[in-house]
Amino acid sequence: MSMLPPPTTLPTPQNMATVLPTVVDGGKSITVSSFKITTRKLPILNAQEIDAMTEKLGIAPPEMIFGNNIVSIEKIGSEEGGWKIEFNALDALDLVDKTGSDMLKVAYSAAWQKQREKMHEGIKEVVKPFDWTYSTNYQGSITGTKEFTPTTDQIPLDKLRRQDPILFFDDVMLYEDELADNGMSILSVKIRVMPARLLLLARFYMRLDDVVFRIRDTRVFVEFAEGVVLREYQEKEDSYENVKKKFPPWRDDIPAIMRDPNQMAEYLPLKSVKVEKLVL
Amino acid sequence: MSDLDSAVEQLRQCRPIPESQVREICFKAREILIEEANVQIVDAPVTICGDIHGQFHDLMELFRVGGDCPDTNYLFMGDFVDRGFYSLESFLLLLCLKVRYPDRITLIRGNHESRQITTVYGFYDECIRKYGSANVWRYCCDVFDYLALGALVIGAGSSVQPTRLADGEDAETKVREAEDEVEIEVIGLGGVVTRQMSRRDAGMINSTNLTPSALPHLSSSGPAGALLTGVPGTGASGNSRGIGNANTPTNTGGAVLCVHGGLSPLIDSVDKIRLLDRKQEVPHDGAMCDLLWSDPEEIDGWGLSPRGAGFLFGADIVKQFNHLNNLTLIARAHQLVMEGFKEMFDSSIVTVWSAPNYCYRCGNVAAILELGEDNSNAVLRSGGEEVLFNRENTRRLASTYMGGSMKRGGPGRRYRVFEAAAQDSRGMPSKKPMPYYFL
Repeated sequence: MSMLPPPTTLPTPQNMATVLPTVVDGGKSITVSSFKITTRKLPILNAQEIDAMTEKLGIAPPEMIFGNNIVSIEKIGSEEGGWKIEFNALDALDLVDKTGSDMLKVAYSAAWQKQREKMHEGIKEVVKPFDWTYSTNYQGSITGTKEFTPTTDQIPLDKLRRQDPILFFDDVMLYEDELADNGMSILSVKIRVMPARLLLLARFYMRLDDVVFRIRDTRVFVEFAEGVVLREYQEKEDSYENVKKKFPPWRDDIPAIMRDPNQMAEYLPLKSVKVEKLVL
Repeated sequence: MSDLDSAVEQLRQCRPIPESQVREICFKAREILIEEANVQIVDAPVTICGDIHGQFHDLMELFRVGGDCPDTNYLFMGDFVDRGFYSLESFLLLLCLKVRYPDRITLIRGNHESRQITTVYGFYDECIRKYGSANVWRYCCDVFDYLALGALVIGAGSSVQPTRLADGEDAETKVREAEDEVEIEVIGLGGVVTRQMSRRDAGMINSTNLTPSALPHLSSSGPAGALLTGVPGTGASGNSRGIGNANTPTNTGGAVLCVHGGLSPLIDSVDKIRLLDRKQEVPHDGAMCDLLWSDPEEIDGWGLSPRGAGFLFGADIVKQFNHLNNLTLIARAHQLVMEGFKEMFDSSIVTVWSAPNYCYRCGNVAAILELGEDNSNAVLRSGGEEVLFNRENTRRLASTYMGGSMKRGGPGRRYRVFEAAAQDSRGMPSKKPMPYYFL
């Protein structure tokens, strides 16, 4: 283990550019109606940063950890102080179960365990048990005093279906893990900004082969003129077996569908939903 | 030009070859591989490579950086396929080279060289897309079953010939004209030597300093920070040659075991790997499975993965295994490393990762590991009189940043770090996300 202190500041795209490959675009920013939207996209963490994050979290981060990436929406120029919602990997991972109390197991675990017990009884200890699927109910990190309260309002899909010009769009990966080739776990954030409103979707998707599919969506909607912020959180989940039955038999690209959270969202039943509101 | 040479040429252009030709090459490859042992013996010098994952253009970059086959003797530690867009071309090119130059390239099996895994992670889909049927996928899978499970590199030297630095080098990367034994050399991006470590003082290196500015705390501390080199015979290493203990073999005449994943609790000697029946699909349990799947971890002894299947092994396991088998190093792949390589457990094991910008989005660099020939006639410097730089500082840095122990015994090794091939040569869709009206 490295004994390096955790970095006190995150590197900026500018100084990172000199030390890292230039294959990723660094992110961008836009301000519309006193809302500042920012994305930052950098390579996965290096060894030191991973050590620092492991120490903070108490669990090993996912294999592909974009710990310097962020998406944020900030209300600026407000008299009552600023307000900001940000999505980042560290906070998302902090909500992953670190006790292993509700741990999933890979499909062939039972068979493997049985085989193992025959061979080597001595090895019993599970190393650092935690939710290795990195399932999180993260809904963003908020700074500012204004708080969300439950509401019966809904995100106005009709307005969002309109083909208003998209002034700003980005898709930012926060983390991804291949679950040691037993499926996939991925948290990414998409945002689109139109002249009058914006929509952000932070989607966690997890597929554990032959076990379960899981989606957790956080949507943030902002109507600029009214300063209204709606946040919707949904959980969708179903067993692998059930979902497989729903795939149309004529589709020959099932593996590709199962890799695509956006397509999979249509195949998973809604388990829970809540909407919250805040006026800035 | 023979059919084989023209197939190689065509594949080098990243163009698939006809199905009939794939069949023929797979058949020939199988005839060669069937004769190979579970643990192939490979003579140094050799260049060891980790996961490729269908990143064809980056494989070309690897050959550019490491030298072409057969000029360079290569050892690939598996995971040729899946994830990337060109698994087919990448694997077939390596296979053609194997058939063409069987003694100059060694391919060992990774956990992705399996029917089950390739149906889920891309290679199967790619074959269907490119040929319209699963035939080519089947031919390839039949070859997978014959790939060796590991390789033993013998005759590796205890030092590498230091690469001379270009004039006008940045002071921070300026390394003393290393006249004593260079154990570890790192060639960073653009072919710049970013690190040379002599045998005595280097601790565990994990390549956090690909470029000097990446490690401000090192470069700001003066020459010693960038130069973890010491003086032979001064005791700075705390361990003289020839005086070792069971945990830290100093025998540099040992071999290097190469395997995709790691060790298995069922395998306490290299000979036991030789006894396995490898010609089958990768099983879900047992020694063969472990060799392709297990990971080193900072634990004592063996542990179970929290996933409910698979083993993790600690430093003591590696050191004991190396000692019992007269190994100086285990080289493995299997895990993504941002820096391209990562040495662990006092340099008794290294992870080599050769897929830069993995999945076209991770932004990581890749590395290959060069093991030189044994030049046992090399004169050891007597040293002692030449105290360069601030040794105290060097030692402190070495132990703080490089993992502690100064005890060494590994072969001389050169890591060449490289980036993903230029974007435009990849012929892929733009990386800029396309705006759309998601809901």
